[in-house]
Amino acid sequence: MSAYVKFLVAVVVLSLGVMVPAAALAQSSTITVYTAYEEDEAAAFLELAKQALPDIEVNLLRLSTGDLAARIIAESGNPQHDVLWGFAASTIVNPDILSGLEAYTPADIGKVAPQFRDPGGKWFAPTGYMAAFCVNEERLSAKGLPRPTSWADLLDPVYRGEIVMPNPASSGTGFIQIDSILQMKGEEAGWAYLTELDKNIAQYIKSGSRPCHAASAGEYAVGASFGLRAIKNIDEGFPITMVIPSEGSGNELEANGLVAASRNKDAAKRFLDWTLTEQAATEYYAWKGIVTIPGGRIPQNFLDAGLPEDVSTVLFPVDFQKAGAERTRIIETWQSRFER
Amino acid sequence: MTTLTFNGTDRRKTFRLGDTGIFLALTTIVCIPIFLFLVFPLFGILVRSLSTDDGYGVGNFTSTMSTLRFWLLVRNSLGVSFTTMLITVPLAYAFAYALQRARIPFKPFLRLAVLTPLFAPSLVQAQGLILLLGRNGALNRFLGFELEIYGFYGIAIANALYNFPYAFLILSAALAIADARTYESAEVLGARPWRIFRTVTIPATRYGLVVTCFIVFTLSMTDFGNPIVIGGNFSVLATEIYNQVIGQAQFALGAVIGIVLLIPAVLGKSLERMVSKRQHALVTAQSRNLQIRPALGRDIAASVFAYAMVLTVLSIPLIVLLASFVRLWPYNMTLTLRHYQFDVQNGTAPLWNSVYISLATATLGVLVSTLAAIVVHKFRNSLTGFVSFLAILPAAVPGMVLGLGYVFFFNNPDNPLNFLYGSFALLVILSVYYNHSQAFLITSTSLKQIGATFDEASTMLGGSALTTLRRVTIPLIWPTLLGVWVFYFMRTMVSLSAIIFLITPATQVASVSVLQLSDRGAINQAAAFSVCIMGIVIGCLLLVRGVLWLFGAKSVALIR
Repeated sequence: MSAYVKFLVAVVVLSLGVMVPAAALAQSSTITVYTAYEEDEAAAFLELAKQALPDIEVNLLRLSTGDLAARIIAESGNPQHDVLWGFAASTIVNPDILSGLEAYTPADIGKVAPQFRDPGGKWFAPTGYMAAFCVNEERLSAKGLPRPTSWADLLDPVYRGEIVMPNPASSGTGFIQIDSILQMKGEEAGWAYLTELDKNIAQYIKSGSRPCHAASAGEYAVGASFGLRAIKNIDEGFPITMVIPSEGSGNELEANGLVAASRNKDAAKRFLDWTLTEQAATEYYAWKGIVTIPGGRIPQNFLDAGLPEDVSTVLFPVDFQKAGAERTRIIETWQSRFER
Repeated sequence: MTTLTFNGTDRRKTFRLGDTGIFLALTTIVCIPIFLFLVFPLFGILVRSLSTDDGYGVGNFTSTMSTLRFWLLVRNSLGVSFTTMLITVPLAYAFAYALQRARIPFKPFLRLAVLTPLFAPSLVQAQGLILLLGRNGALNRFLGFELEIYGFYGIAIANALYNFPYAFLILSAALAIADARTYESAEVLGARPWRIFRTVTIPATRYGLVVTCFIVFTLSMTDFGNPIVIGGNFSVLATEIYNQVIGQAQFALGAVIGIVLLIPAVLGKSLERMVSKRQHALVTAQSRNLQIRPALGRDIAASVFAYAMVLTVLSIPLIVLLASFVRLWPYNMTLTLRHYQFDVQNGTAPLWNSVYISLATATLGVLVSTLAAIVVHKFRNSLTGFVSFLAILPAAVPGMVLGLGYVFFFNNPDNPLNFLYGSFALLVILSVYYNHSQAFLITSTSLKQIGATFDEASTMLGGSALTTLRRVTIPLIWPTLLGVWVFYFMRTMVSLSAIIFLITPATQVASVSVLQLSDRGAINQAAAFSVCIMGIVIGCLLLVRGVLWLFGAKSVALIR
């Protein structure tokens, strides 16, 4: 009997012992970076960062904006990361996240125009993304539909049940879409427009990239999503077109910041400095719809997909401070009116 | 039958004599980790749900419950979960019955095939359903149907497919053990098969039936993978947690719904208790194993039904397999291997991390859940009701809630267990407790079938409770334990919702790679990655099968 107990205890101890590896030892040259950049672009940027900073070991965790926000807030008592990288500006201003950051001004900060960084110095945004429609050509012709070119076109009853859009309550892309409409038209006309649009919407999908995937798969004719999603799905070979709404496209910044609780601030700062270098900028242009710092060219396949040489001509000039401040109220209003 | 069954009071008395110490020791061994790794993390969530802008209070609950939307979500969740239960349980019972009580060719294949929905992340399962039944899915596109899958029925179908294997595992364990004498007496008394089924089989498996209903119902209530992909505008409580926590970082409101979702567990527990009292043991000292005699009509009917079920269940994994080999579903159907050149972060390394975590989880999980089942069912006492409630609680906890509870609890630098945070060990522990309910209930269902006479006889011959366990109980149920091991392994290979909050750059897992691929629209590559996961799980099953074969246990089924 006692042998049996010994055996039991031994198994428990062994199975625990085998599995407890040394808890991550904080080496001086190791930093942990949390990012919401899309998985493939983050990998490309990181490759270059490692070349430029050979003595720093960068551990990268990639999650979607919402997952990452939840994780950061849940960990805020004892942050595990040193750098927040490529994270939606309208979410970084959430007090629970912003309070965990420390002001840091890289030497090259002059490259970033003031509207693309925090007046308090806690974040700066070298890149961003913009709203765009993914339009499935095959489904358009099968249903005999015209190709929409603007938000206004989407009100046409012929699109009833053929449009999918992100739910702004769970998707940052969804939020910038409706917020740009509200800023553009003013609140009263904006809500009136959204009420009309609601009649044509088949689904409010709880993610920003899924509407484009749904349109790409031919489930629906039009998926309101973001520009680079459309371009990449075109590259994958899907029969879709990118349409930038002619009223001007809502957009979002991707911000970088230094974590106040970082145990290795020197390396973290060097990483943040790197994000503004010319080398980084060159790579941003290969992946991003919006790059706020000089140093590269828009790739040919972006232009082929319909992105103009000067992106600023199609962007709606979003007031990001206002967007951050009114986010909760707008989402609550939207939910009470349209969420089913 | 009644003369062979002892009531609880008698049994308790017998054990009080020599085994109080053992009981206390075992209960402690079971309870301490349950508190550390389940109750405390969940308590943190409860505290969150009670914290408002002006101190602690029930303000979040009253404000959430006063909205019309909340009650609409409750209605949606209940409706879809009941529908799922009504579809799944009868079908799974019939399938388990066909396999256990009829002669059907290739039973091991059927048992394995019906589990395949568990081999891929639920995300892929729902995606596969769209590939098959979506507006531009295979049926509509190639066969000219006009199906509209998004919404209530989409969720119900996806949930039913996903829960079918769980229901099968429990019901199969319930039907596996039977006493031939009862059936023979019934026949001698002239009962027809239908009457025997109603008066012998159903009552004998009542416990299994009730816990299956409970598991299917609660898993449907808490699952968010299916509704989010295929639910369209049909929102349920679980997706609302996602909305609140992931979309808007509103932890308190998400926690409120997480707590509300625990209610079915409380109700389920009392139901289980009621049924438990009325369930009598099946295998007693005089039992003989039920021999299935040939009966042509029955066997043909059972075979047709079983193969039709397997075909339905397999349709989703098969379409995922196909999608992984075509260039661009559904536009370019030429075959290619290019999706198997993974360009996701860390390549295939997360696959091996997952294998490592799953092996450890399976081994630890069998130990933990079996101990819990033994404490609850073999040492009945005033504490056991509480222990068994804790044991089935995880089924009612959405993965997201448990994962965040772990972050709050283990990332606290004042917690002596803080060193676990960020390690593989914590992922293993999380997986053990996240899947604890099903494992516990599968083992319990088996234990329920074993009569107290064994314990009595063993005790009278001077054996302690532990001797009985070692010499009698474990030898009788060990094939079930093997099944639990397999169950844990499969679940841990693919589960996503809880583990995503605990992975670090050094502990990436396969299911997260699938999510990354699916997020960036590489549906075919996500399918290919899932196929690799399925391959590993099937390979592992065959390996265990082979080991059993080598040790001479040829007739033991991995999945009962």
